[in-house]
Parts: sequence; C-alpha cells; structure tokens
Amino acid sequence: MRAAVSRPSVLLAVSPGATRQRLAVEAELARRGWPCVSGPAEADLLVVVGDLGSEGEESDGVVAGLWRGIPAPKARVWITDPERVVDALDGGLADLQRGEHESHHAHDEHEEHHEHHEHQQNGDTDPRADHSGHDMHSGHHGHAGHDMGGLVEGLPMADRADDRDGLRLDVLHVPLGPVLADWPAGLILRLALQGDVVQEVTVEPVAAPPSPRPPFWDEPWLRATAGEHVSRGDAARRLCAAHLDSLGRFFAVTGWDDMAARTRYVRDRALAGAAAAELTPLVRPLIRRAQRSRTLRWLTTGLGTLPAEQARQRGVTGPALVADGDAYSRMLVWLDAVGRSAAACDAAEALDAAEIVGPRGRLDTPVPPSRALLDSLPRLLEGTEFACARVIVASLDPDLDELTHVPAPGTVHSHG
Amino acid sequence: MGERTSLWAVLVLPALLVGVALVTAGFDAVLAAGARRGRPGSLRETVARAVEPGRQVLRHLVQQPRRTRASDLPLARIGAGLLPVAAVLAAVVLPLGFRSVSDLPEGIVWFNAMEALAWAAVWLAGWGPNSTLSLIGGYRFLAQGLAYELPHMLAITTAALGAESLRVGEVVGAQAGLWFAVWMPVAFGIYLLSAMAMAFWGPFDQPAGRDVAGGAGAELSGADRVLFLGGRWLLLVVAAAFSVPLFLGGGHGPLLPGWAWTVLKTAAVLAFLVGVRRAIPTVRMERYLELAWVVLTPLAIVQALVVAVVVLNR
Repeated sequence: MRAAVSRPSVLLAVSPGATRQRLAVEAELARRGWPCVSGPAEADLLVVVGDLGSEGEESDGVVAGLWRGIPAPKARVWITDPERVVDALDGGLADLQRGEHESHHAHDEHEEHHEHHEHQQNGDTDPRADHSGHDMHSGHHGHAGHDMGGLVEGLPMADRADDRDGLRLDVLHVPLGPVLADWPAGLILRLALQGDVVQEVTVEPVAAPPSPRPPFWDEPWLRATAGEHVSRGDAARRLCAAHLDSLGRFFAVTGWDDMAARTRYVRDRALAGAAAAELTPLVRPLIRRAQRSRTLRWLTTGLGTLPAEQARQRGVTGPALVADGDAYSRMLVWLDAVGRSAAACDAAEALDAAEIVGPRGRLDTPVPPSRALLDSLPRLLEGTEFACARVIVASLDPDLDELTHVPAPGTVHSHG
Repeated sequence: MGERTSLWAVLVLPALLVGVALVTAGFDAVLAAGARRGRPGSLRETVARAVEPGRQVLRHLVQQPRRTRASDLPLARIGAGLLPVAAVLAAVVLPLGFRSVSDLPEGIVWFNAMEALAWAAVWLAGWGPNSTLSLIGGYRFLAQGLAYELPHMLAITTAALGAESLRVGEVVGAQAGLWFAVWMPVAFGIYLLSAMAMAFWGPFDQPAGRDVAGGAGAELSGADRVLFLGGRWLLLVVAAAFSVPLFLGGGHGPLLPGWAWTVLKTAAVLAFLVGVRRAIPTVRMERYLELAWVVLTPLAIVQALVVAVVVLNR
C-alpha cells in the first residue's frame, strides 16, 4: 500500500494570482517525478495552489467538489507560500501513506485564512462522514472541468437547437474551468455544445479577489515603471519563461506530451536563473523541432484566425497582434521571442521604463492586455470543435493574474 | 501450417498478453521520464519508472470505486470490461511462431470482428458516467472508427487476398519466401496507422486526450480504470502483434525458432508504435477523417487491386 502511492498522481488546482506558487509546485513535482493528472478520477493528491480554498462559498465549492471526485485513499495540500512547497508535498505524501485524509498548509503570509481552512478540513476529514457522503454526493462534482459554477445538481438538461448544418440537435451547457489541466488558472468559459461543436461562448468574470501583488509574468516591467532598477536581462528572462510556459500548455493541449515536458524543463531552468550560455542550447532544439513539425502545422493552421486589423480593434497588443493569423502563427511568434530573449537574459543595462510591453502585450493601456485576449475569445471559439477550442485558448493563453491585480494609485497606468 | 495448441494455452494467452503489455508500458514510462531532460536518468530511476505501470495497477486495485451523478453504472462497467475481453478474444487467432490457440478458418474476420468490439466498449465507457468530457471522448472514438476502419479492413483484406485464405496460419505460410510487407507496403503502412487508431494510441489518442481530462476513461477509477486502460494496452499489443503474421512473415526467419521470431518482430513493431507517440502531436479527428477518406482509402483500394492482379496471374 505504501509503495503503491509513493509517487502520487497530483491534481493541481490553481487560483488566479498564484502563478509564482504554481511554477514552484510544478518544478518540484517534475523533480520528484510525480505525474500531474487531468481529472479527479485519476488523482491521489489534491494540491490547491493559492487562495482557491478561502474565498467564500462558491470557491469552497471548487475545492470541495474536486475533493469529492477523488477516490480514496486521498490527501490534500494547500500551498500559498512558494518557499514551503517541499514540506507541504512531503506532508501530503505522508498523509496519503498513512491513509488519513488530512491536509497540509503552507501558509504563513495568509494567517487569517488559516482558521477557516482548519474548520473546513475538520468537516471533511472525519473518515466516516466522508465515505458515507461519497456515493451520494460525488455526483457531478466529479469533474474538474465542468461543474465549477455552483451547479449542485449536475448538468442542466439538454435542450435542442438548430446546429450549423440545420439539424435540430441537443445543446449541452458546459462550464469549462476554472480548474482544468493546461488551462489558464481561474478562467471560466460557459459553452453551449452540440455534439462536440461549440455553438456559443461566454467568458465569466474572474471570481478571485483583487490582489495588490503585481502579476508574476509582468513584474519586471511594472517594477521598472515604478522607478525600480530592473535589468534588461531580468525582463528578457521573464519573457522567455512566460512564453515557454504558454508553449508548454500549447504542446500539452495539442497532445505532444514530450515537447510539453521538455519545454517546461527549459522554463524551470530559465526561472532558476540559468545563464544565456546554458539556455540558448536548450532552447534552440526546441524551436527547431516545433518549427519543423509538419504534423503540428497541419493540425493547428487555420484555428482561431485573428487578423491584425480585428486584433487592434479589440485592443490586443501582444504576440497575438504580431502574429496576425491563426494558432500556428501565434506559436511561431512565441518561438521567435523565446529564441531572442533566451540569448538576451544576461544583459545588465537598465530596462527602459518607457517601453513596457509584457509577455501578453502593452502594460500602459487602461485595460490589461489579457482583457483584450479574453474579449477576442468568444468570436474565435464559436463554431469550432471542442478540441480546436482548447488549442485556440492555449494559443492566446490569457493571464488572469493581470485581471485580479489592482495597482496602487499612480504607480502603473500612465493613462489611468 | 498453423497447428492447434493444447487447452492450457487458453489460460496462458491472457497472462502472456498482460506480461507484454506491462513491459511495453514500462518502456513507455521510461521514455516519458526521459523526455523532460532529453536524456534518461540514472539506472535506479529508470528501474523505478519501468515498474511504475505495475505499481499503478496495484494502486487502482485498492482504490475506492467512485461514481458520478445519474451515471449508468452497468453501461460504464460493461464498456470498461469489454475492452480487455475484446483484446484477448482477438488474440485467440494470433500465432506464436506457427501455433495459435485456435487457427479458425476465417481467423482474419474473427480478428476484425473482435477489435470492432472496441467501438462499443469505448463508446459505452464514455457514455455511461453522464459526464460531458467522457462523452466527448466516446464521440471522438466513433469518428475515429469511421476514419480508420475502412482503410483498415481493406488493408487486412489485401493480406488475405495475397494468401488466398482467411486462415491466419495460411497467411503466414504464404510468406515463407517473401514477406507481405515487401510487396504490399501501402497495406502494411495503413495497417500500422489503424493499429494505433484502434488502440486510440499515439497520434490517435484523441478519444482519451488530455484536453478532455482523459476522455472516455475520464470518470473511471479503481478496478474499472485498470480494466479500461489495461484493455487499451492489451489492444495495442494485440494489434501490433497481428501485423507480424499479416505482413512480417510470422514465425519465418533464419536460425531462431518460430516463436522467437514472432516475439522479436512484435517487440520491434511495439517499439515503433511507442516511439511514434513521442514524436508526433495528436491528430484531430476531422483532419484524419479527411485524410482517411480522400487519400488512404483510394490508396488501399489500388493496393488491393495490384495484389489481386498478381494473385490472378500466379
């Protein structure tokens, strides 16, 4: 029994605003060789990253729902402090091997939430309460992806509507997110599906509480505008890692697991501070392989075409505007930027505070660049197959940290 | 050719298949672990990875079963259980060397019928749990079936045509001089593609894709999961192994005994299939459907025609 769970399968539930913690957790999981799984059914250990479990009832529902969906024996862990990932995971493993359903906390910056967790944990850890409740409730919460929006009674009944070929078919209303593998943390899309064709999409507002901390990926540029000294190299390194992170998702969603794993390894190296001399030879074969893959090209061209004209109208400023095209061309833009920024990550001169363009676009506009990406999503998704929809979302990769960030007055937004 | 074996082979066959599947899964796990750094880890780590699939099986067997709301449990269970059954039944006509458990006169049709059970199995497993993502996985397998099955049937018919028999033993016998793979390369290629598609493996793993959280198997846990995912591995092994009597000369080969040649050739095909999955992203079904109907089916027909002409002039 102990041996059987020595490498637990981990289900990651990440809240928006917790990118730094997520990266620390992912790097540590990869180091240990613990697999990240995509649904509760195959998980042993639920790792809640960020404040997902402590934002009032609805979000409690997210974690509680995932937890109910995981078959026993199981354990869970809360991580809010990137420094304490190792201890927390060790604790989770120990719980799992003892067969107790307890949870470990890596809190210390959020003491006020601690009590709340403690409380919830006691409610859930009574083994009998948990087991007797399981068969009755495990219900539709079963799935990470679909039942996050407070729907307790499972999916609503299907209704009927004309599909794109004029057939009258069942319509399923399916919420996607906020916890789904290779998915922007916190993003919730409400889809109307016919078969696996997406008919209608609404982007749900982000539920996370506003955070004063700058979004992890935009940090160097925001710090530079706030007057701090930030080197060009640091910014390039962050940009490189941000795009590698997006690429990792993109490859994972297109089903290219090996490339995804490799990309994430290079991302972790970049974040760990590897010099340009180490990064460039790591990055180059990746770029070459992705550029030369005819299959990848065959599979992703024509998906989610966003012409520059339309992108500009919607306020998109980042790689999606530069790409002026489909999911494949957006990936090429990322690859290109990764190559250039990997070579530049040792530069010591100061970052010019006048040009603040983060990984997702210009940071000096009234709305964050990810807002524009989210606004473009519904039109790109409608009428596509489910699998294409996942690729399109991954190829835009909006960062919801940007939407939860509320800057202190007068520091960032020059136009305000 | 094609002798019958004694009754004990009926018991040995499933055990043998499970053994091969575990070894293949272990090999795949080692490759997956090496993917991150671009090289394999230490010997100790490699061994730990190789036994990982076995450990996963144990873990799932002690797991609490779970169910989703308003699920159709019998359907999901039948779906999960049918997959390994279909694989083992298909393997009945599989010769090890020149002996199979039962060399049926219409062995090729039997094989095709048994692997078609996988359609039902995956669809039921996807439908049963009443969950959208697993339902999508089920749908995808039906679309995949429509794409691969027609070229696939043409490909195995071509082999039967070359041997002028549906008996697997005679197909092997007909390759004593020249392997079918040599003069029916298109059929062989199409067979390998459909072998992967049949086991929803490699570039055709969309029905169990990560983008739908595991697709058809997304909601299965415990023993159901072992049956379903294990059944998938068995199906892959059987599909790969069947390419050996069909196209690679079965047990024919110099020096070594027939069974050793079968094992070697099967291992080579399996290694190839495992490698392909690592090298290529998942093919979306609407793209493959197009390719299968517009390119592969006509090619398979032309190949069958060529073989028919050769056989008639013999």
